Amino acid sequence: MDWLWLVPALPLAGFLVLFVTEGRLPERPAAWVGAGSVGLSALAAAVAGSDFLQQGGVPQTQHLWTWIGAGGFDVAVRLYLDGLSLVMMGVITGVGFLIHVYATGYMAGEEGYSRFFAYMNLFVFAMLMLVLGDDLLTLFLGWEGVGLCSYLLIGFHHKDPENGYAARKAFVVTRVGDTFMAIGLFLLFREFGTLDIQAAMDGAQAAWPDGGALCTIIALLLLGGAAGKSAQAPLQTWLPDAMAGPTPVSALIHAATMVTAGVYLIARTHELFLLSPDAQFAVAAVGLLTLFIASFTALNQRDIKRILAYSTMSQIGYMFFALGVGAWSAAIFHLMTHAFFKALLFLAAGSVILALHHEQDIFKMGGLWRRLPVPFWCMAVGSAALAALPLTSGYYSKDLILLASFDYGAVGPWFWGLAALAAFMTSLYTARMIFIAFFGEMRTAPHERKGLNMRLPLAVLAALAVGGGWFGLVPVASVLPDGGVDAAHHEGALVWVTMLAPMLGLLAGYLIFGGKQLSVDGLVNSGLGQGLARFWGGGWGFDAFYDRLIVRPFMFVARVNKSDAVDRIYALIVEIARRLNAVVTQSQTGALRWYAASMALGLVLALLIVLLAPSL
Amino acid sequence: MLLGLILLLLVGGLLAALTERLHLNAPRWASLAVLAAAGLYLLAVPVGAQETLAWIPRFGINVTLAMDGLSLALVALTLFLGVVAVVSSWTEIERNPGFFQFNLLWTLAGVVGVFTALDLFLFFVFWEVMLVPMYFLIAIWGHEERAYAAMKFFLFTQISGLLLLFAILTLVYSHYAASGDLTFAYADLLGADLHPTISFWLMLGFFVAFVVKLPGVPFHTWLPDAHTQAPTAGSVILAGILLKTGAYGLLRFVVPLFPEAALDFRWPAMLLGAVSVIYGGYLAYSQSDFKRLVAYSSISHMGFVLLGAFAWNVVAVQGAIVQMVAHGFSTAALFMMAGALQQRLHTREMGRMGGLWQRAPRMGAVALFFVVASLGMPGLGNFVGEFMVLLGAFQVDAPLAIAAAVGIVVAAVYALSLMQRSFQGALQEAENGGTPTFADFGARELSVMILMMAALVWLGVHPNTLLDLCAPVVAGLGVAP
Repeated sequence: MDWLWLVPALPLAGFLVLFVTEGRLPERPAAWVGAGSVGLSALAAAVAGSDFLQQGGVPQTQHLWTWIGAGGFDVAVRLYLDGLSLVMMGVITGVGFLIHVYATGYMAGEEGYSRFFAYMNLFVFAMLMLVLGDDLLTLFLGWEGVGLCSYLLIGFHHKDPENGYAARKAFVVTRVGDTFMAIGLFLLFREFGTLDIQAAMDGAQAAWPDGGALCTIIALLLLGGAAGKSAQAPLQTWLPDAMAGPTPVSALIHAATMVTAGVYLIARTHELFLLSPDAQFAVAAVGLLTLFIASFTALNQRDIKRILAYSTMSQIGYMFFALGVGAWSAAIFHLMTHAFFKALLFLAAGSVILALHHEQDIFKMGGLWRRLPVPFWCMAVGSAALAALPLTSGYYSKDLILLASFDYGAVGPWFWGLAALAAFMTSLYTARMIFIAFFGEMRTAPHERKGLNMRLPLAVLAALAVGGGWFGLVPVASVLPDGGVDAAHHEGALVWVTMLAPMLGLLAGYLIFGGKQLSVDGLVNSGLGQGLARFWGGGWGFDAFYDRLIVRPFMFVARVNKSDAVDRIYALIVEIARRLNAVVTQSQTGALRWYAASMALGLVLALLIVLLAPSL
Repeated sequence: MLLGLILLLLVGGLLAALTERLHLNAPRWASLAVLAAAGLYLLAVPVGAQETLAWIPRFGINVTLAMDGLSLALVALTLFLGVVAVVSSWTEIERNPGFFQFNLLWTLAGVVGVFTALDLFLFFVFWEVMLVPMYFLIAIWGHEERAYAAMKFFLFTQISGLLLLFAILTLVYSHYAASGDLTFAYADLLGADLHPTISFWLMLGFFVAFVVKLPGVPFHTWLPDAHTQAPTAGSVILAGILLKTGAYGLLRFVVPLFPEAALDFRWPAMLLGAVSVIYGGYLAYSQSDFKRLVAYSSISHMGFVLLGAFAWNVVAVQGAIVQMVAHGFSTAALFMMAGALQQRLHTREMGRMGGLWQRAPRMGAVALFFVVASLGMPGLGNFVGEFMVLLGAFQVDAPLAIAAAVGIVVAAVYALSLMQRSFQGALQEAENGGTPTFADFGARELSVMILMMAALVWLGVHPNTLLDLCAPVVAGLGVAP
């Protein structure tokens, strides 16, 4: 237990070392500090975790210090370890460490090597505070912290203004969600006088045994925050652009950890959502919607990282969907397996991109499977898990989600049908990516960078992507209301269809993009096909819509009102004073006659007033 | 004893001016020495110290000075930012450094007086003492449009000062008429028995005087000009400290002196606060001048203080106090950055900056830190202030708190755009700055920046130091729990 504080403290220490040395540390020591601190953190997490499990999985807290105390607003920085935060901590430190190790090779020779690891370490620290915080404000500290690091790392190559734009977009869009979340926190504090998660949840259960409007509003506000951070509709638009960051960043932040923070938040506050079936339905709907939008868009991308980004969006959509239909544990299970296989996919894609001198267009790749066997097999394994082929980790978690959705009330079968269709789509676009990038004729000759520091993490992640789901997900059973991942039982056709949907997608993918037995050229080249491809490829018009609705009016008013309309009022006063001055100046003619005349006139007026005054 | 602190600064100012005859650098060192002495002096002052000296007994005017937790925090901030101002203008001010340091120290003396005076007449005297030297700082050592900016500053502050004087005199007279006791003592006037109508108008007089200083929309338009045209030290003092006198006035005088009237006026005041947050932020984004952007961001940040002051519960008021101190550091640092850039590039236009990180990574990292602080990142002081203000205000008026919360998004927009346009992107060869002599921060500039960074981190992770210091004061002011 005493080890727990070390878990976030070590990456923070790594950041501080790299920060204080002003990014001037040579590559080797910077790599040791950067990856080493996260490795030690993973070790500490393992010790703390095994300690936790040995003690029977009883939630533990560790008080660090009192953060804020004023007028009944008391916040302590406390770490809280239960089954849920244990899983998150394991994923963050474990996968995080592997990605750090990989990055020591991937980033070699890049400008700002040490700065890169400083940001990465800060990210790991913030992410750990997010999942270990016992208080919603501590969680919010981590929440904003990971947003900052995401911004810094998307814009890591800051010379290119495009990257800066993508970074700012990510920060601002997620901050819209964060603002919803902050308002949710204000409401919770108003109702219960605390932001302590357990206390607030207990309070909610006591105050609203039957749910109610306020409970739904708070849950929806938290959902708003979750949707922003997890790139769910309608706040999903930032994630594809976030791919501007170096590929290890995409793997760590925009696939394995940060973007799943929303899933964690909803799971952590599941009591609220259980009290409000409407809010929970909204979670499912948001997930399903995003799942669809992203799957169709992924089918129309050329950039390998953007394909993966949309697939991340859709897989998180699955997680939201699972939370919404009450498959809480399955959602966290999928979060974990997704972290394994998506990190693997991104890192393998990173190796490919590096070998092709930063070429990311799959149509300029082709035939790479012979020349890049290690990245290819890693991509293949990761894709199999992504498509949820049997025996891979992704299969176990996604299968659970689909089956659970069938039982979700009257709309259950519909939900199941849509989710199964999306599973078909997932394997279709995955197959497209694999067949176009790795088979067919070679269009660009690769030069692979072969380092153990890059291959070892790939091997470990590949093993996890396959076997990471075999043992289920034991620790969350005590935390989440559905009692673990093996609660649902189904039989018959439902199980078979659920299992076969991805395989059908794969088959279709092979026929269209691999063997080319099936031609869709007619469809693609038709007017409708082209229109749809443009619409889907452009992310369903969300960007254009926001651009017209918000960005352009905002910029327009900014341009027009640059010199501040309010200042015009004061300028007017000044102008009036000037005019009056000009009028009065006229009287100062220097002509003695005028002065004498006006003095006489004044005298007469004064006398008149004196004479008439008594009668007034 | 407290008077000694103020006299130290006043006399020190005179001495600093005289040392110019010895060496051009001497006034700067003298100024630092005076500020260091004042800092040591402050350490010896116990919290809760109070003293009264008779001044003009026949009008009930005394020199009453007191140092409670709030005053201590603000006086400490004042002296610290005084050092920052001296350091940041070390090489910038070449003309009349003696008279410059004189004005600087006299402004600071006035501010310390404002933060400690508990006699309304004395308060007004200090209010004027701090403004006149400030006018000279802008008018003499300012940039290209200094005459206009200085005159605008002077007119706004003098007219609002007149309003303040008028309100003080009326308050004292009303109290005299009711009780037969002619006094300017804050403690006596607290319980003044006033007709509600008079009370309301007096409250409004104080309110406007302080909100001009804060500044809140729509009385803010002097600030962008004054800040932009002032020399770096002037901007640091102006934004870091002088604005806080307005905030301090709201907390110390407006609500405690006229509690019922202030309660009646709560909604419009909080509305002005929320409008300032958003409008200030929006205009900040609209600017292309680095310094002007920071200036408008101050309006946005001080809007939170206005919001918190009139929410008038402990969480909001404590939040407003944290925000005052945190904003003092973050804005002072950004103005210092603006000054450093202008000295190197001879421009404040961000259209002629860009990519500066490549030339000066140290400056880039420092700028990034304060930009991030300014947009309210948890772990740094500004977040604690803003979050507490919003949390407290939400309990009083949820719609206005929500409106102000939108300002957090706007803050992200302008703050990150500042960073992008100056330090990120492709390197621009600014007309005069494209020379290879562009120097990164040296030890002198870096050391004060590090101190301010440390202060913001401390306020961010352990704001209780400040909250505990101010808790008795906040309770004493009659803030609702």
